[in-house]
Order: sequence, then C-alpha cells, then structure tokens
Amino acid sequence: MYRKQVRRRRAVLALLVVGSFVLLTLTYQGSHDLQSGVSTIFSPVQSVADRALKPARDLVDWFDKTFDARGENSRLKSELAKTRRQAVAGQVALQENAQLRKLLKLDRDSPLVYTNYKEVTSRVIARSPTVWRSSVTIDAGSGDGVRVDDAVISGDGLVGRIASVGPGSSQVMLLTDHASGVTAKVLPSGAQGVVKPEVGNPEELILDFLSSTKRVHGGQTVVTAGWRAQGFASHFPPGLPLGEVTNASIVEQEASEQVDVRPYADLRNLDLVQVLTGGSRE
Amino acid sequence: MILTPKILARIVATCLIGVLLQLSFFSQIELFHVSPDILPALVVCLGLLGGSLTGAVSGFAIGFFVDCLLVEALGITSLVLLGVGYLAGLFRERFEIHSTVLPALLCMGFTLLAELGFGLIQILLGLDAPLSVLIVRDLLLKSVYAFFLGWPLYLLIRRVLRPALVEESTVRRRRAPTVLGA
Repeated sequence: MYRKQVRRRRAVLALLVVGSFVLLTLTYQGSHDLQSGVSTIFSPVQSVADRALKPARDLVDWFDKTFDARGENSRLKSELAKTRRQAVAGQVALQENAQLRKLLKLDRDSPLVYTNYKEVTSRVIARSPTVWRSSVTIDAGSGDGVRVDDAVISGDGLVGRIASVGPGSSQVMLLTDHASGVTAKVLPSGAQGVVKPEVGNPEELILDFLSSTKRVHGGQTVVTAGWRAQGFASHFPPGLPLGEVTNASIVEQEASEQVDVRPYADLRNLDLVQVLTGGSRE
Repeated sequence: MILTPKILARIVATCLIGVLLQLSFFSQIELFHVSPDILPALVVCLGLLGGSLTGAVSGFAIGFFVDCLLVEALGITSLVLLGVGYLAGLFRERFEIHSTVLPALLCMGFTLLAELGFGLIQILLGLDAPLSVLIVRDLLLKSVYAFFLGWPLYLLIRRVLRPALVEESTVRRRRAPTVLGA
C-alpha cells in the first residue's frame, strides 16, 4: 500500500516536471496565447487588488523612505544647486539654438523628441517577485493602442519598453531586466554607448561600449540616442532622459569602456507610467 | 491530508489570494531596498500541511499562474516552486514538527533555495547582463522576510485547512466532550 503511494507520488512529480519543460519549450517557440488569455481574464481583478492595496503599500513605503530620507536630503540639496546652474546654461543654449536653427532653416523640425507620439497613461498593476527578472504589468493593452517595443516613461525619464501586449494589459521590460539594452549618448560630450543593467542592482546601470576618444565625466546626463540607419531604427525616440553618470573614472573608461549611470526614474517604485505609442518605425 | 472538494476549493482560493497579494502588494513594496516574496513560503506551508503531493501540485499551479499573469516564460517558476513544495512535503513525511519556529525556519531556507534555483535556471537559459554583488543582499533579506512572514502564514493556512488535517481531527476526537452544567 505504502509502496503504491510512493510510486504514485513519484509519477505525479515526474509528470509535473515534464509539464514544466513542455511549457518552457512552448514559450520559447514564441507562443504567448495562454498567458495573454489568463492575463486578460485576471487583469480587472489585479486592477481592483492594486487599488485596494495602495494605502497599505503607501504606508510601508513611508516607513522605508523615512529611513532613507536623511541621507537623501543632503544629496538632493547639492543636486538642486547643480541643476540650477545647468538650467541657466540650458536656457542660454536653447535661445542660441533657436537662433541658429532659424538661420539654417531647420526650424520646421521640432526639437522636442516625442511630439509625434501619443502618450497612453497607465497604472502598474503587478510586478515580478524575483530579482532575476525585472518586469511590471500595466493596465493598458492593444485596445489602448499599445504595441510591442513601445517606449515606456515615467515623470523622471525612460523606464523600459513593452515586451508583450494583451488586449487589456501589457508587460513592460524595465531597464534593469537582464535582457534590456538601450543605445544612449552622454550630453554634452556626445559619447555613445549601450545602457545595460547589472542583475541585482536596481539603482545602477552600466553605459557600455563607450567610444574611447570622448571622455565622460560624473554628473553628465545620459539620454536615448534614438539612431536610425538603413531602414532600421531604435525602439526609443531620441533624447529621452535616462540617467546621470555617477562613476566615470578614466581608468575604467580606458580599460573596460564603461561608466556607471544612475537612472532618473525610480524603477523600484513605479505607480503610473506613460507608453509612447505611434511614432514612425521604418 | 483528507482531500475533499471543499478542501480543494480552499487550497485553490489560498493559492489565488496568495498570488494576487504577492503581485499587487509584496512585489511593489520595499523594506531596505528589497521586496518580500511570499510565494515560496506559501508553497512550503502547503507542503508541510498537505504532504509532498499537495506541495508539488500547488507549487506547479502557483508558478504557472504567476507566469501567466506576468506574461513571462512559462515553466520556470512552476519548476522551482514544485521542487520546493515537494521537498517541504517530504520533510513533513519524514520528520515530526513539534516546534512552532520550525515552519518559519523552513520557509526561510526554502525561499533561499527557490531564489537560487530560479537564478540557476535563468543562468542556464542565458543571462545577458553581469551579476551584481547586491544580489546576495537581496537573496538573504528575502529569506529573512520569509522567516517573519512564514510564521503567521503557516498558522493562517493551518487554520484554513484544519478540517482536512489528520492530526487536528484526531486531537478533536480525543478531546473529552464538554458536559453542560457539570
């Protein structure tokens, strides 16, 4: 009797393990219909749960942020002073730029980067529980005009891109996901590279494959490069703020052609995001 | 565990609520920069109370449901959680649990094991970015949170599944009937 039970138990276990591998194989063959179906059914429930649990989440966040606030205060003060200086310099540069564009008859092209895009505002309703994946689910889908590879931004900057779309919800691959890579450039030097994450560290990104001819310094701004060549284009429009260079030692730049970047967007605490839909993708 | 349709419904409801709570609440909060993960602890509790088969099946189902809701690659979370549930159930079948701290300690250990297992599968499937040392902090803190959350979770699930638990029903039968007015 006991042996029969053990045999049955092992058979079920083997069946479940085989089932897991079958599911894995199906997914890697590109079939997402099952997930989309289940996600569509449960996204209203998730939306309700998300809204109902928001006060409790805010309470926990308040405790967590209170711990960090003291250290952050002094950092923000110094950042504010620096930003004031940059804002003044920026205004002068904008004025100069407008005059030069007029002179060169370039004023028909808008200097703003995503004027051609329609912004779809949506709420984050679920988040991946493990550190090995970095993705969130939002309550906007193909019904709202969202498409795969659309850029996703928050009030602070780029957050990621749409990885898969269902009728009423979409999955956003965050910048910190191991499969993420964004072509970016450093302002004002213009040095270009690819922003990649470091798995397990949501507060730092790496700007890799930097050109060794242009020096990058700490505090410089990193924006999306948004390249376009021979019919191919980057998923992201140019000029979206990405982050700030934090560590840019000359030794590291020369040895590994990379610098550390702190993302502007708080990728750990996302509540509302915007999807940039439409735009040209030729 | 005595599995009746009513108990099965309770297990399914527990799994659904657990997954929704994880994705909508625990994954979106942070304590010391790390989010708690209650799913391995939930599977461990079901395994400890229901045995290896219940643990494995509920682990597989929870993993499948999570991957579906997050539109992630199916099978990875299922594989990890079914292993955790089976091992927790096997532990229950081999050893007696007398201490109230033991389930919480097992939740802690199995959460660490689940995260390491998940990482291993992810590395085998291909990890396109370098690993940060901060991942160690994340794994350890997740395990510590599982200890503190596993404790009430075990008591709660034991209460939900009480009619199905063999030991609990034996205890109830052994208890002397109360005679009113004696």
